Amino acid sequence: MKRRTLMTYSAAAIAAPMIGRVQAQAPTTVRWWYHFDNPQASPAELVAKFEKENPGVKVQAESIPWGGGNDYYTRLYAALVAGNGPDCAMVKLGNQSRLLQMKALEPLDGMIDKWSGKSDIAPNLWKMHQANDGKAYYLPLQYVVLYLYYRTDLFQAAGVQPPRTFDDFLKAALAVNKGDVAAFGMRGGGGGHDHWGSFVLGGGATFDSGGMVTPKALAANRWFVELGTRHKLFPASAPTDGFRQIVDNFKAGRTAMTIHHIGSANEMVQALGDKVSAVPVPMGPDGKGWTSFGDESNAVFAASKAKEAAFRWASFLSSADNNVAFNAFTGQLTVSTSGAAKWNLHPKRFVDATAASTGLMGTLPNDTKTADFTRTVWPQQMQRALLGQITPDAMMQAIEKHFHG
Amino acid sequence: MTMQRRSEHIPFLLPALLVTAVVVLYPALQTVWLSLHHFVLFDPDNIRFVGLGNFADILLRDELFWISLGNSLVWVVAAVGLQFLLGLVTALLLNQTFWGRSVARALVVVPWALPSVIIGLMWTWMYDLNLGVFNDMLLRAGLIDAPVAWLAQPSTALGAVILALVWQGFPFFTVMILAGLQTIPATHYEAAAMDGATRWQMLRYITLPALREVIATALLLRMIWVANSLDVILVMTGGGPGYTTHTLPLYAFLKAYSGMEFGYASALSLLMTLLLLVVVATYVRRVARSALA
Repeated sequence: MKRRTLMTYSAAAIAAPMIGRVQAQAPTTVRWWYHFDNPQASPAELVAKFEKENPGVKVQAESIPWGGGNDYYTRLYAALVAGNGPDCAMVKLGNQSRLLQMKALEPLDGMIDKWSGKSDIAPNLWKMHQANDGKAYYLPLQYVVLYLYYRTDLFQAAGVQPPRTFDDFLKAALAVNKGDVAAFGMRGGGGGHDHWGSFVLGGGATFDSGGMVTPKALAANRWFVELGTRHKLFPASAPTDGFRQIVDNFKAGRTAMTIHHIGSANEMVQALGDKVSAVPVPMGPDGKGWTSFGDESNAVFAASKAKEAAFRWASFLSSADNNVAFNAFTGQLTVSTSGAAKWNLHPKRFVDATAASTGLMGTLPNDTKTADFTRTVWPQQMQRALLGQITPDAMMQAIEKHFHG
Repeated sequence: MTMQRRSEHIPFLLPALLVTAVVVLYPALQTVWLSLHHFVLFDPDNIRFVGLGNFADILLRDELFWISLGNSLVWVVAAVGLQFLLGLVTALLLNQTFWGRSVARALVVVPWALPSVIIGLMWTWMYDLNLGVFNDMLLRAGLIDAPVAWLAQPSTALGAVILALVWQGFPFFTVMILAGLQTIPATHYEAAAMDGATRWQMLRYITLPALREVIATALLLRMIWVANSLDVILVMTGGGPGYTTHTLPLYAFLKAYSGMEFGYASALSLLMTLLLLVVVATYVRRVARSALA
């Protein structure tokens, strides 16, 4: 060995522990934005566990107000545009298109392929999270599928079974719609597009060009609006009711059915015990149905200087036991197949209703206009139709115009 | 005053002017700049100058702008008018001598001190169809046969939200007017009483003229605040049902924070500012006049 080479090796040998120490003194910091419905919930334990397993990485978890989605995404977009965005954040599919247009997302395919937990997430979940360009930008974190809650006591008293089709639904609704009880707790405020989607998208409307104004789509929407205007099956407050109202009305016995997901199951059972159960949303006349797939993922941002560490944190959260622990305080379902096998956080009948609904689940279009549709366009047009200010057909034309001009 | 003496005060004003430029002038100029552009937050590669295009779209093609403007006018006139009347009556009552007056004067400012979001949530539940205290009381009193969906009906929604805002805002008038009442010499009333004036005549010819400056200032300030406020509406109805409670600031807010159309939203805000400038100019003129007097 030449003298110079020996010196180089010696220097490297001396420097190696020092470099290690420098790294130990300045760990990579991953800024992660999250939002939980329950402000008391904290990911601190998961962060501590991750940092113990990954000594070179620190996670700076920042709770961002959700504000129905407006607050969270406005802050996220503004931070990304200003160059002060987080390294990774919780995100929903409805905003993927906008984030892609901003060139804010890092493709994760390479990192996902190398990740040992990839096979523990079902192929259909990966497929649903894929972007229009075929790449994976989102790492699934939790999910829910909407189903129909019904009051077993009110159904029994009326002598009807939980509905399987639109016709069943109307018959059952007319039977339980008595006195102070409105048949269906319809959500006309923000987020209510999920209710509408089960009947109108399930009845044949689509978001393709012209898909909202086909005879089948218009008929499905007329049928749905008339549940309220003609059959009076919705509470009078339905046009502006939000999540809290539909859940509280159902718990108080003011409505006999409503649509939501497993996230509210424990609250329902606590109030009603065995008087509440769930089934998939009813099917349309052509035997098809549609229910909303509620997603939440983590994305790594293109501007991040710690992409690998950010992915390590995101994949940690989506891994079996960690994902179960994460969902324990969000109240939603694990994306991990092995985690789902030992799931005991919700009564079985609601897990079964969720599983039975997966064949119907769909998503809103991956389009930059979707977020504004759910937050503004749909509630305004739906409310106007329910109040008779516009016809159901005019409502569908407005939605068609929003997406396709 | 010589030129030199006139310029002596400039260094003293400079810090305040600098702060004002940073926190007021810069955002205002940026709003003007944004209003002249197609600026969508999630589409940063497609920002382009459109001149007065946003304004033309709003004024010529946007039906919702005119609906929102109409709602805003009703909102400001009704909310400020009722706040003033309630504030005046409360101030006159609190100006009387009675047991517990100090406590009553302290308690009356509670609505003013509460955050708007809390007020919005509180009133939303008070109006609730099934669980609300209003429906419960009216049903028990036999005034209604069935619960009313106050916030979900076009005929009641705007009025219901205005009532919540009246409750929040009347203490401002109460406090202002009460302070004004303290400045009216008791001798005026004693002289009027000796001349046989009724209570109404005292109010009409002594109290109200003496309070004219206070009332005008309070009305102008409150009009500006109410015209700009959207938090209570946002929490209680989000502008619905339909467009029933859709006001101009709410429209600008939704365009910016839901549609992410910051250019269009800035143009909406500027138009609203131009309308409000009439009120602002009146207020500034009054303040300047009283400062010179």
